[in-house]
Order: sequence, then C-alpha cells, then structure tokens
Amino acid sequence: MMRLLWLSALACNGNAHALLNYPGFKVWQKEFEWLYHPLLPSEYSFKEVEKGMAEGCDVLLVDGTLEEGYVKYRRPYMELLEHYGKQAHHIVTVGTCATFGGIFAQGGKGRSGLHFRGDERLDIFKNFWQKSISLPGCPVQPEVLAGTLSLLKRKTDIPLDPLRRPKYYYAYTVHDGCIRNEYFEYKIDEHRFGRLEGCMFYDHGCQGTYTHGSCNKILWNGLGSKTRNGQPCMGCTEPDFPKENLWQTPKHMGIPARMPLGVPRRAYLSLAGIAKAFRIERFYTPLMKEE
Amino acid sequence: MATRTRLELIEKIEGEAQVLYEYEGERIGFAQIRFLSSRHIEKILEGRDPMDALSINPRVCGICGHAHLIATVRALEDCYEAIKISDKALKIREMTLSLELLQNHFKWFYLTILPLLDIEAPIERALEPSRLAGEMIALLAGQYPHNSYAIPGGITGEITPVDLLEFRHRLEQLKEIFRRYLIDVDLDYFVRCDRIEEMLGKKGDLPQAMRTILDLGWERMGQSLDRFIVFGESGFFISGKSTATRMRKHLDLRYLKEEKIQKSAARLVAYRGRAYETGPLARAMVMKTPLIKEAHRRYKDSLFSRILARVCEVPRLLRYLDETLQKLDLSQAAWIDPGPMPKEAKGTGVVEAARGSLIHQIEIEEGKIARYRIVTPTQWNLGNGSRDNLYPAQKALIGLHRNDPAELVFKAFDVCSVCTTK
Ligand code: SF4
Ligand code: SF4
Repeated sequence: MMRLLWLSALACNGNAHALLNYPGFKVWQKEFEWLYHPLLPSEYSFKEVEKGMAEGCDVLLVDGTLEEGYVKYRRPYMELLEHYGKQAHHIVTVGTCATFGGIFAQGGKGRSGLHFRGDERLDIFKNFWQKSISLPGCPVQPEVLAGTLSLLKRKTDIPLDPLRRPKYYYAYTVHDGCIRNEYFEYKIDEHRFGRLEGCMFYDHGCQGTYTHGSCNKILWNGLGSKTRNGQPCMGCTEPDFPKENLWQTPKHMGIPARMPLGVPRRAYLSLAGIAKAFRIERFYTPLMKEE
Repeated sequence: MATRTRLELIEKIEGEAQVLYEYEGERIGFAQIRFLSSRHIEKILEGRDPMDALSINPRVCGICGHAHLIATVRALEDCYEAIKISDKALKIREMTLSLELLQNHFKWFYLTILPLLDIEAPIERALEPSRLAGEMIALLAGQYPHNSYAIPGGITGEITPVDLLEFRHRLEQLKEIFRRYLIDVDLDYFVRCDRIEEMLGKKGDLPQAMRTILDLGWERMGQSLDRFIVFGESGFFISGKSTATRMRKHLDLRYLKEEKIQKSAARLVAYRGRAYETGPLARAMVMKTPLIKEAHRRYKDSLFSRILARVCEVPRLLRYLDETLQKLDLSQAAWIDPGPMPKEAKGTGVVEAARGSLIHQIEIEEGKIARYRIVTPTQWNLGNGSRDNLYPAQKALIGLHRNDPAELVFKAFDVCSVCTTK
C-alpha cells in the first residue's frame, strides 16, 4: 500500500474530480490508501491532518495555488507543506496551479506554485526539489496522475524534463495525435468552428504545437480532446498559462508569431511556402460530403 | 442564559467552510457561516478579451465548471444585439449541462449524504455514473472537466451519428445504474409518482436513505425560510419564485443585489431585499414536482424534502436527455458565425447549476472585459446573514439540539465552497 496525502490550497477541485473519472480507478485504487483526499473517504479528517496526525505519508500531493499567509483552519498552510513534505518520499504537484501558479496566481500577490511562479524558480521549498515531480494540466489528465503514482509505487525510473515533468507524459506535444494534423501539414488556414475540418494554429489560437502534454495521445475521458472537438489548446500544462487572447493566434507579419516546438522560423516559412504552392482538393472538401 | 460558541470546520464540500455555532443552552441559537479564501476570478477576468472568459470560467469550479461555461456563453451572447444559434447547438448545450447535474447528484448522494446516515455503499456507485456522464460530455464537448466548447454562435464540434451511438449506449447504462442502485422502478413511473410510501417501499439506496431519516426521527429537521427562487430557464426547468402563499413566474434581475460582508469571502445576495433558497428543492417547488410537493406538505422544507428533491432530479434528467436526443437534428449548423464581439456591451447569462441558479454578468468596454460578476447558488443558500436577516442554511441550523445532525442539515444544501468564494 502506498499512502497518499492530498492537500489543496486555492483550487477548484478539478484535479480531484478528474482523477475520479480515471477509467481504471477501481483497480488502481487498490494499491493506494488515502490519508486525506478532498472528496473521497480518508483515514483522517482535515482537523487531524492539521494537527500533524497523518503520519507515514509516502507521497504528498499538492493541489491548488499557494498563497502567502493562507490558513485553512488554524495552521498556516505553508507550515503543513513543510511538515508533511519532510516525511514524504515524493512530492507531486497536481495540476498547473500547484506547479506554476496557474490561473489563480493572477488573482493576487504572493501566489505561486510549489517551486515556480510561472517559469521563475522559487527558493522557499528548495530542499524538496529533488523529490518533487510536476504534473501540470488544468486539470491534469487522470491517466497522468494515476500513472505517475503507480510508477512511483513500482520504483520505476521516471525521466524528467527541466520543469520536473515526467517525460513519459510530457515529452509529446498536444499536437501529436490531433486529427487535424493534415490541415496543419499542408497549411490550410480556413478553419471554422463547428466543423470537422481545419487546424486552429493559424487563426484560432491553438497552442498544441508547442504545449507539452499527452492530450491527443491519451484521450480525455478515454475518447476525446479539445482540439479534436474543435477548441484551441490553451497551453494549460505550461508555465505561462493562461496567456491573454486565448482564442486568437498572435501574428507576426501575417504568420503565427510562435513557432511549433523547436522549429526555426525559417524552416517553417520554407515548408509553408512549398505546402501552399499546391492546392490539394481533398483538404478543401468537407470530410462527410457524399461522393 | 450563557452563550457558548464552537467553531466547526466543514470539509469535503468542494473546499471548506467554517461554522461558528452559538449555543443557547443545548440548542443552536445562531450560526455564522464563513468562507475564508477567495481566488478573485472576477478580477482575473478584468482587462482580458471577452472570449478568454470561456477558458477561465470553467475553473471557478471543478464539479460544476460546465454550468459556469454555459452561463459565460449566455452572457457573451447577450452582448450581441442579435445572434442566431441553431436549435441543435442549444439542445446539445442543455444535454451536456444536464449531464453535469447528474454527475453532481450522484456524487453528493453517495459521497456526502450516505456516510452521514451511516449507510455504507461502495464509492463506485458514485464514480461509475459520474464517469459515464463525463464520457458523454466528452463525446459532445471534447473533455470533462474543463472544456470550452460552447462559444458565441453555437458549439465548436461537429457531432456525427457515430458520436450519438456512443452517447445513447452510455445513456442506457446510466438508466440501468439508476434502477440498480438508486431505486428499482421504471423511470416514467417514478417521474409520475406522488406517494411517499410507494417510494419508501421500493428497493434501492434512495428509499433506504429516506427510511433511515424517518427511523431516526430527523425528517422535520432543517426547516428553513420556505421561500424559493429559480432564475434559470431551460427545456427542463422553469423560472419563478414560490413562497407559502404565492407563486410568481416573472423575475427581474434588476432586483438582485449583492453586498460584501465581514469575516467571509462570500458576498450576500438578495432579491428585492430578501433571502431565498435556490437549488433542487426550489426547482421542484416551482415546477410542482408531485412527489416533492407531497414531501413538502408533510415535512415542509426540511432535510427530508431537500434530499429527496435532489435525487428526484436524476430520473427526470435522464428522461429529458432521452427526449432531447430524439429531437436532435444533426443536419443543422453547429456554429453560426455571429460576427465580431461588440466593443461596448453588457450581458447576462443565467443557468441552473446542480446547486441552483448561477448568474454571470459581463460588461465590455473598448473590446475588453471591464467588469465581471458571478453570483453562485451557494451565496443564496449558505449566505451569512445577520440575526434579523437569516439565510437558508442559518435558519435551518438554528434551534437544533447539540445531538441533532447539524452537519447533515448543513450539507443537505450541498455546499460548494469554491464557487462561493470564486
Ligand atoms: S488544431 Fe492544434 S493540435 Fe490540432 S493540428 Fe492544429 S495546431 Fe495541432
Ligand atoms: S488540449 Fe491543451 S489546454 Fe486542453 S487540456 Fe490539453 S494541454 Fe490543456
């Protein structure tokens, strides 16, 4: 049994609810025990957790944006993190709020994630850095949270990126596996909402090509994703989430200002030039049109 | 008589609240309800592009984020002088919203209420239907929680008959779960049922819970203001307010007022200066749901009626989903381009969320969000009023003996702390 302690600061509970949707939850849960979870039956009440009674926590799950001076009941929240963080073998920041600060960090001063404020490294919990893993996402995909905990349980090595995100889940971009990919490859700009066709990179703000995550590889609720449905990826796993004007593509001389991950602008422009030289009829025809 | 006070932390309510009980002898004389943190979502929205609200607002709440999305899109659409939305898009929005309500109801009944009645039920009875509802939303909206598929002019996805096959398949599973776990009766029969004894005589977790409340003698506890309000309209709900003596169909949002209060991050809200109860019991009273009218006739607006009213929405929502699905015309446009968002405008969006009426108001100036206001159901039900202006949960708590189930009375309102403090 691996013992989990889930603490939330300024949160929406979306991560907790998303986890409950994990299709394998029933079986997964058998290997874990909740010292505390904000929704599920747990061994301790929050009052007991505050008194420091929830001993023996293997993994501390930190959820929600941290705020200086935040008190949930009687004890400063930072003190609680310190207390349980020391005991825990691993610390997992669940979701973008706990990792980078996320949306709520924009609502007040002194708000941040555990180790980051946006992409700025913070020192306050630096003794925890080595045992921390970042699982950003707004919310984090349940497979990513459940899977990471199972890997920890099995003592599997988990390669991490510089932001301490597990590469097994965050080495991909959201663009990988999106069913609109062909429209991206051949630079077909004409995306319209409510249609199966088209890619949202050019006009509608899709950040899939430079957002690390598995949203189109491990589908949401086992079956979908934002971009497959026709909503732009908002880059919710990244330190700068949420940017402004999420439904528009910022442009530079008519070309999307931000390039796909690692692609030099010149390479992009050359490829785009070639792709656009051809007009491939199939991509201008509705997919479901009868022949 | 000396007053003694006791501070209680109420947890697992989508966050936490504190209640400061003041006892007069053995009974609760007054109760202050406090929500202590605020995330300031309304402030975060200011200065942003209005469309950003579609992405930010679902994050008000992890369990009813979809209701916030629909309220947002309605507020944005209200900013246009004229806007066309296909019947298909409207229906699909109502379907995903109904599914979010269902998911809420199952989780609340199994994870919050049953443990307080000492009834043991596997948590899968909450999770299995919630997961299915999540999948059904994802079929239409990409993912759950936290999608942004409803946009001014319609919805982002083009739904095919294949999606609907998958959808229908899961709807049938949900209906089975309803019968297998909640109450072993036919949907249609249950929707028409108006006799408490008949309901109590069936097999299932719902009758068991209601019988337990009767056995414990708690059925009259938690009586409150007996004034109900429903702002949201849909193919399913009707708006209006109902008091002991009168029923009124037309509400005017100009009479809605919000005020800051001390010691709590939640603001107080009133209609024509008065507090009201919102949520499933209010909806049932306004819609005159037979079984709930009967419960109310016997036990007034007690925890019995409140709990029953909420669970009774399950079969009704399932039936509503069925009907709506049958009427869906997939040949209509998913999205009709409404043109650019007006640069100067005001708009209001109202929706019935699981816990009651949810209201969003936006003001756009120079193309940006100048002001954004969110009024949540919990602000009504869990308002922290003064002694001469009690809010529903306060009123329900006052007079309870120290051995009475105060936590159950409180949680029967289904508190949502995160929404309340936004
Ligand atoms: S919509 Fe986004 S994720 Fe999909 S192909 Fe285009 S850029 Fe990639
Ligand atoms: S598609 Fe983008 S915005 Fe949506 S959940 Fe995935 S990373 Fe976040």
